[in-house]
Amino acid sequence: MEYLSSDKIGIIDFTTSEVSEEPLDEELVRENIGGIGITTILHEKYKEDDPVVLGTGLLTGTLVPGSALGVITARSPISGKVVHTPLTMYTGIELKYSGFDYLVIKGKAQNPVYLWIHDGIADVEDAGELWGKDTWTCTDQIRKLMGDDVIQVLGIGGAGEAGSELAQITCNYWGSADRWGLGKIFGEKKLKLVAVRGMGLIEIAEPEEFVSQARSMIAEFRSAPFSGRQGVGDLLAELGHEDFNSWMGPLVHRHKSCFNTPIPTNTFLFLDEEPQLMKESEKDEPGVLVTDPLALLALKNLGLSAKDAGEALKACAKQGIDPYRVALLAQENGKTTLQDLLGFLPEMKASPEVSYVQEIFSPWCPRRPLWGDFGIGSDESEISQWWNRRQAVAYIFGIHPIFALMSPQLSEDKLLELAALGTDIEFDSNTIDKIVGRLID
Amino acid sequence: MNKSHNYTTFYGLSVDILGALGGRGNTSQHDHTKEQYDFCRDHYPSIGIYSGGGASHSWLWFVDLFDRFGLYNVHLISEVEIKSGAIEPLDVLCVSGGDTFRIAESLGKEGSETLRAFVEGGGIYIGACAGAYLPLKSSKQPLNLFNYVDTKIANVTKSLPQALRMHHKFSTPYGCEFIFHPVRDAVELSIGDLPPFYSTASVVAPLYGGPPMIPSSQCEVLATYKCFTDKTVFLVDRDLAAKTVINKAAVVRKEMGKGVLYLFGPHFEHPHYRQANKLLLKSIYWETNERKKGIERARPFSYQPISNSRDFLAQLKRDLSNSRIVATSLEMLPVYWIIGRKVYEPAKIREFLEAIWKRIHRLEKTENIFLKDLEQEYLQSLGSRLRDLVRELKRSIDEGKDTSELAAILFADLNRFSCMFCNIYFRTMMAASTMGE
Amino acid sequence: MGIRIDPIKCTGCMACELVCSYHRDDAFAFLSACIVVYRAKEKKDYFGVIVKEEESLVIARPEGLEIKGIGAVDEEAEGEGDSSAKPMLLREACDLCEDVEDGPLCVSVCPHGAVYTE
Repeated sequence: MEYLSSDKIGIIDFTTSEVSEEPLDEELVRENIGGIGITTILHEKYKEDDPVVLGTGLLTGTLVPGSALGVITARSPISGKVVHTPLTMYTGIELKYSGFDYLVIKGKAQNPVYLWIHDGIADVEDAGELWGKDTWTCTDQIRKLMGDDVIQVLGIGGAGEAGSELAQITCNYWGSADRWGLGKIFGEKKLKLVAVRGMGLIEIAEPEEFVSQARSMIAEFRSAPFSGRQGVGDLLAELGHEDFNSWMGPLVHRHKSCFNTPIPTNTFLFLDEEPQLMKESEKDEPGVLVTDPLALLALKNLGLSAKDAGEALKACAKQGIDPYRVALLAQENGKTTLQDLLGFLPEMKASPEVSYVQEIFSPWCPRRPLWGDFGIGSDESEISQWWNRRQAVAYIFGIHPIFALMSPQLSEDKLLELAALGTDIEFDSNTIDKIVGRLID
Repeated sequence: MNKSHNYTTFYGLSVDILGALGGRGNTSQHDHTKEQYDFCRDHYPSIGIYSGGGASHSWLWFVDLFDRFGLYNVHLISEVEIKSGAIEPLDVLCVSGGDTFRIAESLGKEGSETLRAFVEGGGIYIGACAGAYLPLKSSKQPLNLFNYVDTKIANVTKSLPQALRMHHKFSTPYGCEFIFHPVRDAVELSIGDLPPFYSTASVVAPLYGGPPMIPSSQCEVLATYKCFTDKTVFLVDRDLAAKTVINKAAVVRKEMGKGVLYLFGPHFEHPHYRQANKLLLKSIYWETNERKKGIERARPFSYQPISNSRDFLAQLKRDLSNSRIVATSLEMLPVYWIIGRKVYEPAKIREFLEAIWKRIHRLEKTENIFLKDLEQEYLQSLGSRLRDLVRELKRSIDEGKDTSELAAILFADLNRFSCMFCNIYFRTMMAASTMGE
Repeated sequence: MGIRIDPIKCTGCMACELVCSYHRDDAFAFLSACIVVYRAKEKKDYFGVIVKEEESLVIARPEGLEIKGIGAVDEEAEGEGDSSAKPMLLREACDLCEDVEDGPLCVSVCPHGAVYTE
């Protein structure tokens, strides 16, 4: 596989400590495109070993707007189904440029280990010094050890180590879209974290045309309905929760985009520092990046203040525990103050019942179009069907799932066209139908 | 002449240039192992590139140049090889940029004598920038040991003009005078009608502190500074720059005994200046044709391919990848070091690493890699050491510590590592190309 | 004329960095870009943009823009000049995409208009 690819699948077996490689077959891409189109095939191939498959979309890390996405495909501890977690911020691109297109992690290690992925090399390292430490400490230590502060860290905290069903795989210091308890699987494998640094180069089959089309879309998006909206508050307002901006406004520092995503979907709250401060804060931990709007909503619904909700998010991120389900459990158990909630965290082992248990795409992503017209009505089942397909397409091509809700211009035809321009592969027009048909039953 | 040709180098290893070239029939001092590779070397000029004391990193450009044109009979050498006369069998010796005084100090009297003997015996000396200053007549010690070419430079002055910019690269003290650099970057040269340059009217090449020379009857002027380009950076006002540089000699040629010296003010070996590259290569081909040193046909190649090349390369690549990651994170930091008399920036670390990095990929594709004695162990331990050093450097910078000593050690090791790697690389590529791999 | 950045409008999306690398390499490879998002202080939400120009660095910190001459940092240094050459253009200086239609590219891809020319 020559284009938009590192032409490498890494297979890491913790039981045997073996690392092996396979090339990425062009035929595989022609039939399955990328992202979950291929992670599912790899998961199926190695399913005896209960693998965790990391991957990236075919278009991830290119100039196509919103092309930020990495994915984790694994069997969810709470449902037993093969599910997918989107990886946003910079983790998707770091994976894409790391020299691997896909990583299959299987088996169980005897002692705690971590994976260091760099330049097409997968190193299994001893995590004795890291096990037992929270995700923030681990991220800091890995970055210090490797000498680079932009290394992306997919890790677990105390929750994953303790086998909690609420355990989340976190991204650096922040919560991820993992609603499935995949942190528990990492914990079972004694895998503390996966550290990734991408220094590679991605070739494009028809660079001029590809870039020209991407640039046109970027220009188009400048006048899209979402233009000018920023962050978690505006997102939630669009979902009908108008008071978010005023509730958390006093704590908002800045908004952050995921890679190449025209609208910032993350908001940094300063909990322990003056939010107006633009200079570098002298505090080591001035606040928290809100990457999970629906979790924030759930915490607000508990009756917490914005500051307390922020503290709760920070504590959950450090522990590597899903804040959305934490809020649900807290509600169920009457733990409606910050102190009570934090005190109850270590006891949160069994997942509360959730409405999404039969699904496969992370419900971290809101379930309807945002600032975009996709020509669907207001019928709930129609929207649900549309949403599932739209998520599937996003996870296959590598588009930020939330951005996918606002970008009708990134139609399936367009994405397929870009994929063809990028790779010189002639995709069948019904390829997406076939893949989606296989994924969604 | 029964000289032993095994020398302990700057790198602490025995490097046998003659062994690499196959010797002149005197192979009894080498271990003959079962597998030997015969190949014909007479159409590859044997080239030495100086990377020892006083050399900066621009020797990497010579490496790049010869690599690109498939000239693999290349040896990275230090002052040790020059002082001991081990360069004698080479056709060509290239000395690129750096600190001229330090190069002269490193070579010393011994080096000056063997260098002279090398050229007089038929060797071709290619000097660029500092390498051009070195053999120019000078009264200053220890440069006065290398007075091979009686030609003056135009950029020396008793009272230094005001620098408009880039103060740290503007001038060098020269006794009680100063050498100053009026311009940097691309300049346009007009070509004379003397061989081997005579087929081009003009060429653009970059000046990074090299000399504008005053033409004299002492040597042939192959190219003169014609005019500045829109990329030229002025460190003094335009008039003074023009007065100092324009119409002065940019490239001169001087025969000495049976050999010849080419002195280049600008860096004709710079990878972005292809036309200049071609002229430089043309000179080398032309001169080696004229004065074959008599190295004969097929010689036994006395290195053995290592059996675990995949593992060896994998480990090297791992360490290099780790070092490169740190080097990249250092790049944007506002830190620099003064080592010797030169300014080193973090980007320079990457420069060495990138040169090796791209060549590791090529080595991965060859079947056999040729190493000698302890080279494998040494290179591997140096690779890990570099990784640890560069990580320590980053940590220390982050903690606000003084890193000048650490940086000096790092750059010295980096140079050592790069030279050793390049030697292995060229040796392997030479074998591969002759084996038709 | 040079590239300038309004650091407060920036959301750290790195589109500028990616497209600049394309301008250099005809491929995507962040390492060759001359406009770079500084993102080493993630925990503190402190991020900005750096542009390498021929003789200066444009440093867009959230608190304000600074244009720092390369080499100006060596004013106090005792190091004398040397004849060593410029680094091998690992990060080439910004050329304002002079050969590109409706460039500079970074300006054209920034979703928030944070990158502009002055």
